[in-house]
Amino acid sequence: MLTSEIVLEPLDQYRYRIPRNEAAGMRTHVLVFSSPALIGQTQKDLSLAQAMNVATLPGIVGPSLAMPDIHQGYGFPIGGVAATDMVEGIVSPGGVGFDINCGVRLVRSTLHRADVQPRMKQLIDQVFRDVPCGAGTEGRVKLKRGAIDEVLTRGARWMVENGYGDPGDTERAEANGTLKGALPNKVSDRAKERGGPQLATLGSGNHFLEIQYVDKVHDHPAAQTLGIEKDQVVVLIHSGSRGLGHQVCTDYVALMNQVMPKYGINLPDRQLACAPIQSDEGRSYLGAMAAAANFAWANRQGITHYLRDAFRRVFDDEVRLDLIYDVCHNIAKHETYVVDGRKRDVLVHRKGATRAFPPGHPEIPAIYSEIGQPVFVPGSMGTASWILVGQQGALNDSFGSVCHGAGRVLSRTAVRKGKNVQEERRKLEQNGILVRSESRDGILEELPEAYKDVDEVIEVVHNTGLAKKVARLRPMGVIKG
Amino acid sequence: MQFELLEHPADIGFRAFGTSVEELFANCAHALISIIFDPSDVAPVQQINLHAEGSDRESLLVNWLNEVLYYVDTRRLAFHSFAVSFTDPCLLNCSASGETRDPLKHPVRLSVKAVTYHQLKLSKQAETWFAEVYVDV
Repeated sequence: MLTSEIVLEPLDQYRYRIPRNEAAGMRTHVLVFSSPALIGQTQKDLSLAQAMNVATLPGIVGPSLAMPDIHQGYGFPIGGVAATDMVEGIVSPGGVGFDINCGVRLVRSTLHRADVQPRMKQLIDQVFRDVPCGAGTEGRVKLKRGAIDEVLTRGARWMVENGYGDPGDTERAEANGTLKGALPNKVSDRAKERGGPQLATLGSGNHFLEIQYVDKVHDHPAAQTLGIEKDQVVVLIHSGSRGLGHQVCTDYVALMNQVMPKYGINLPDRQLACAPIQSDEGRSYLGAMAAAANFAWANRQGITHYLRDAFRRVFDDEVRLDLIYDVCHNIAKHETYVVDGRKRDVLVHRKGATRAFPPGHPEIPAIYSEIGQPVFVPGSMGTASWILVGQQGALNDSFGSVCHGAGRVLSRTAVRKGKNVQEERRKLEQNGILVRSESRDGILEELPEAYKDVDEVIEVVHNTGLAKKVARLRPMGVIKG
Repeated sequence: MQFELLEHPADIGFRAFGTSVEELFANCAHALISIIFDPSDVAPVQQINLHAEGSDRESLLVNWLNEVLYYVDTRRLAFHSFAVSFTDPCLLNCSASGETRDPLKHPVRLSVKAVTYHQLKLSKQAETWFAEVYVDV
């Protein structure tokens, strides 16, 4: 369906509805979280049509959801959320994406902006040397034969137990950095071969590591619980499961395309390929996905280890980097919600969406129980990032989910047009942001104009009660893959 | 023309052409590796045989390109050329040439995670075969 033909009904200032269109095979409606300032950009690409395609998935429960940072993906839109019934529903590898458990962790330092500023060049160069980044890069963690299956089973815990982290790190991560149900034997040898050597590497594309300072605190009690204050230096790490996750998704999209006819499933887009959750193929995928998710947590844990080393080299052994939290934004999780007054066990596909559980939820670490689960929303390179905490509205209206970023609006080619990498680097440096990048074009492709306004995206989730603003962060240095 | 690149808000794609299905599949592989690095810098110093299969022509194309990507990403090969043949409409063999990737000689332009079914097209118009493919970067 052409975007211009899509019926988009405003429900209030921040919600829109695309009614169920049975002729298009939709089993439910689409609920879009957006705003008058953002919706026009969303209508320029195919993302809303993709959210309608998601509404055709067998066993979908509640609406197909679109977060305010939604943009065109492949199969699912990026910024899309869909819950499917655990008994009668399907699992779609495309609903998780190629970068399984791509996510964000935020680390707070014991330093302030004034401590770091004079040595920022030295620091960014040291981190760039110590944290391997770029396409196909091999990491410094050399796994012994057979150890990869341990990593896939135990995730960040394996890393901490093997010297790559502090004991407290795993307490402050979604699922404690280890998703249960991992089946390493359902991960192909190719996936292990492709991703294994890349453990503890940042990767390329939109992955990055950013040294930031707390620019503005919006919620002081919550900030105090998170251990941050104005001008404190923090580090945001955005990376995923590297080639291992890419290959798992590739393998299972191929498999599910083969078996869909067997289950009588016919979809408008083959990238949505799926199988019943309770089928052999569905269970195998979920076991492989959990293994890849654990690899991603191990990966971010390894990066944190080398980051700590770099800070100690530049400053001294007294400097501490403590994990605030780690959240994933490409995942499928078994969760329970009340839908239309009935308790439902569902598989929540989050494709470019972050879990945002409210205060008191049993899956939040005890230290954050009073404030809600921390959520980190990175903006585009050179603009702001945000710390939020989950609110009750997310449980009521969005299957415990919020946005994951700013949301892309310009293609890589379009944003590069007429731009000079040296000039853009100089402009960022004039604004106090040092950039190091493995690839020359990486900087140009991730310029702020390629993205929506992250502050506007945050207004939507804040004002709809999905999550609450805690603090805004500003970059001092960026490392891009 | 062998291929041209296509824009996508988050990713990138290509439209490839061929006077036969064999040539089309070879040109699609050429387009894919051209996104990753500059193939004109690659010497044909070694030969490698590649295989792919699918349940139909479209899935064969996606599986074929993911096979090429696996060799680029994991076996660290830089490809120079592809000679494609079919033993059956859904079974592909290829004799490819290339060399081991050298980061200095073959710097990466863009890293590709996977080849997708998104807006996949494969058809014949007049005497020309063409395909449109999007990749996740």
